[in-house]
Amino acid sequence: MPHIEIDGRELDVAAGTTILEAARQLGIYIPVFCYHPKLSIAANCRMCLVDVEKQWKPLPACATPCADGMKIQTRSAKAKAAQQGVLEFLLINHPLDCPVCDQGGECPLQDITMGYANPHSFYQEEKRVVADKDIGPLIATEMTRCIQCTRCVRFGQEIAGVMELGVVGRGEKEAISTYVSKAVSSELSGNMIDLCPVGALTSKPFRYKARSWELKHTPSLCPHCSTGCNTDVQSLGKDVLRVLPRANESVNEEWICDKGRFAYAGLSAEDRGLTPLLRVNGRLQAASWGEALQAAAGGLESVVRKHGPEAIAALISPESSNEELFLFQALFRALGVTHIEHRLRQTDFRADAAMPLYPALNMSLEDLERERTILLCHAFPREQQPLTNHRLRKAALAGATIYAIDTVLRPFNFPVQGLCPETGDDLGTYRRLEELLQGATARAEEGALARLATALRETEDPLLLIGNDALQHPQAAELLRAIQGVATAAGARLGWLANAGNAAGAWLLGCVPHRRPGGETVPGQRTPSWSTAHKAFVLYGVEPEYDSLAVEAAQQALQEAEFVLALGHFTGNLPEQVQVFLPLASWAESAGSFINNEGRLQSYRAAVKPAGEARPGWKVLRVLADHLGVAGLAFNDLDEVQSAWQGALGDFPLDVPAFAAFPELAPEAAAPLPEGHLRLLGDWTIYTADPLVRRAAPLRRPAVCRMHPQDLQARGLGSVIELRRAGRPVVTLPVQADASVPRGCLWLPLGTAESVALGGLQSSCTVGRASSRQAI
Amino acid sequence: MLSDQALAAIAAERRKYPADQARSALLAALRIAQEEHGWLPTELIEEVAQVLEIPSIQAFEVATFYTMYDLKPVGKHKLCVCGSVSCFLNGSDDILAHLQKRLGIGIGETTADGLFTLQEVECLGACKDAPVLHLGDQYLERLTPEGIDALIEQLRGGSSDVR
Ligand code: FES
Ligand code: FES
Repeated sequence: MPHIEIDGRELDVAAGTTILEAARQLGIYIPVFCYHPKLSIAANCRMCLVDVEKQWKPLPACATPCADGMKIQTRSAKAKAAQQGVLEFLLINHPLDCPVCDQGGECPLQDITMGYANPHSFYQEEKRVVADKDIGPLIATEMTRCIQCTRCVRFGQEIAGVMELGVVGRGEKEAISTYVSKAVSSELSGNMIDLCPVGALTSKPFRYKARSWELKHTPSLCPHCSTGCNTDVQSLGKDVLRVLPRANESVNEEWICDKGRFAYAGLSAEDRGLTPLLRVNGRLQAASWGEALQAAAGGLESVVRKHGPEAIAALISPESSNEELFLFQALFRALGVTHIEHRLRQTDFRADAAMPLYPALNMSLEDLERERTILLCHAFPREQQPLTNHRLRKAALAGATIYAIDTVLRPFNFPVQGLCPETGDDLGTYRRLEELLQGATARAEEGALARLATALRETEDPLLLIGNDALQHPQAAELLRAIQGVATAAGARLGWLANAGNAAGAWLLGCVPHRRPGGETVPGQRTPSWSTAHKAFVLYGVEPEYDSLAVEAAQQALQEAEFVLALGHFTGNLPEQVQVFLPLASWAESAGSFINNEGRLQSYRAAVKPAGEARPGWKVLRVLADHLGVAGLAFNDLDEVQSAWQGALGDFPLDVPAFAAFPELAPEAAAPLPEGHLRLLGDWTIYTADPLVRRAAPLRRPAVCRMHPQDLQARGLGSVIELRRAGRPVVTLPVQADASVPRGCLWLPLGTAESVALGGLQSSCTVGRASSRQAI
Repeated sequence: MLSDQALAAIAAERRKYPADQARSALLAALRIAQEEHGWLPTELIEEVAQVLEIPSIQAFEVATFYTMYDLKPVGKHKLCVCGSVSCFLNGSDDILAHLQKRLGIGIGETTADGLFTLQEVECLGACKDAPVLHLGDQYLERLTPEGIDALIEQLRGGSSDVR
């Protein structure tokens, strides 16, 4: 254990500790630029030079391990001269544009210059200028400001797992660049903005919007996926101007994904619902809250009178807060409504009885890093839970072997042994895997599956994680049972990757037809959400066509409904049957809590005032309850709602059995495809997954569908195709050849105008060459 | 773009290094590509990266770092004048200016007859004899404008042995 002395203070440090780490332990500040605790050590900026006794040259503190007896000075004349020298060199080519630089006020270069530089510059020659690069819609570059610390390059390589930025050129011509300036595509790219210690990489959507010191900071949470990343919502007046990560080692460390960072741009979308709306003579018109609430209550009451409360389907978004979810089900259960549901991305509910109390990871995110063998079952966390995916990546880098079974092969950012049944029979794949695990002999063509079976059998306690795609599968019930079969045969633990921001809360708080808060079973028969048996629909934060798997069924059911009440944030995608619309405050405009994938309860505060006349969901539900004559929900503040749901739920475990007993599953024969038709597969992409992110302009990406190259070839198709229903052209889309899409299938990005036009995945379609006029 | 021969040569280089260290073969692979093609267009760099199964940007980083790799077509004689500190203090700017005037081209350009390319490079490690110029596999040291004139005459005359 080396014994050292820094600035006269003595300290014992663990072998291998660097001078910088030791100084930090003592609370002694050493300026740095290139050093970052989460990245490898590059030691290329030299800002951290310190004076070490018996060394005639100053040494970089970030890269020098402490040796026994070292005496270090951080503020001696020699150290100061070194710091001044380094800063003088760094500033030679740095422009003096701080007044117009977005980094100004939160710039380490500015701060360290103030603290450590020689106030006089001797440089009189020309400064170099580096051409800016367009690296996409999220990051603005001002490359002349770059000091070549390479944090962004190392981040790409080490954290994001994609090498997109690099250092090109040499000496005076050295510059950070993407390979021939292609857009940075990583879903974690925004973190490079935070890492950049100067103003070279700044946020494009935030550009020139405000100075950093004018912003109000509100600790918040990201509502967009079940990881539950902690964020800092920064606002000026009534506008959210940016969202940054808030460090929490056990959840998101110090990162967030681009969805969480930039989705706020959707808050000010043109179709933001700012007033209550009532349909008058076929058109939605602004109305007062009083009128709208009355009409809402009246409409629901009349349906109850005519058809009974069972004719109402109450559908809520799983990105709602616990408080909203609890009040929502309490209100509608009190009315006698039985169909309360948050799962619009599922069509097969036969396994409902076997579902867990809530979709729990069954371990902490940090523990995920220490797993050795993981099988991802129909999961693509890179887009669906990006920061959970980051833990998996860390596990992979630490030597874990990660397997994935899915309908199509997904582009992970770490090595994954992917298995995609060529025939599209993913159910059969899990069943065969179970048989192999039980000792069946593998057939010749089953090499990869047999290797997976061996790996699972040979690892002690492997982990199976169930992802979004499993629930979205048309035969979800059989698929889940088969996954459980694999887990039992392999002696594996099972965990869920919860498929939405507060899916855990939605389950725990009874927003499913068959369970009350706390999981108590509600007996009775179920109809699907989008059934014509339902005569009224309540849509809370959901856009039926964009958020449902069964788009066509949704359209049909709404068509025949007598009354549709929508509560939400946006009006653009409201079905034409909506009679009353009540505007809700967004997550940034109200307070509440979420439960993440680990079962971690976290709360957030309102950052800004609600837009227009929008009101926080819990208040709207409370007043609606009043209008409907439902007693017992007259809460005065959010704390009361919180105690109410906590009282109803009680303590809930962090570890829950992934499945209860499966019911008998009647075999369902799949309808044969008509001749020449393609089966539709698809998934929500990272930036089409919910109403807010769909409206964030900087995140918009063109929709692209995928087909097997041989199918494309056999049909003589080019790079743009026309998708037809019943022979009629419906949409034109660029197509990408992808050998992992099973033959005879077409993979479609959901939550897009194109997927809606096509009626979702319910039927099949035919394709043809796009006539050039329609080609994009 | 790469011929079978070049691919074989790159594969031979690749085998010299451990399985997980493809980057180590990059210098040689780029050299082989350049020797075959004369210079390194972007697509060729990309192809080398693909052959070695490394990210394109990594190959691009290396190709832009070393001035021995040519990212544009170059003339028969590539005059690489050191502009780093020792040479700078000993007049490399004058040498460069003189060369530009004599050849009628700027730094990084090639004469119309395809004979000369002029380049400024980083320290050539021969500081004690600054200013220094690098030509093919030879160094020319303690440069003077007169020496440069003689050099150009000799190269124009067809002899490239300038020692
Ligand atoms: S922080 Fe140590 S060299 Fe950059
Ligand atoms: S500075 Fe020119 S050779 Fe070193």
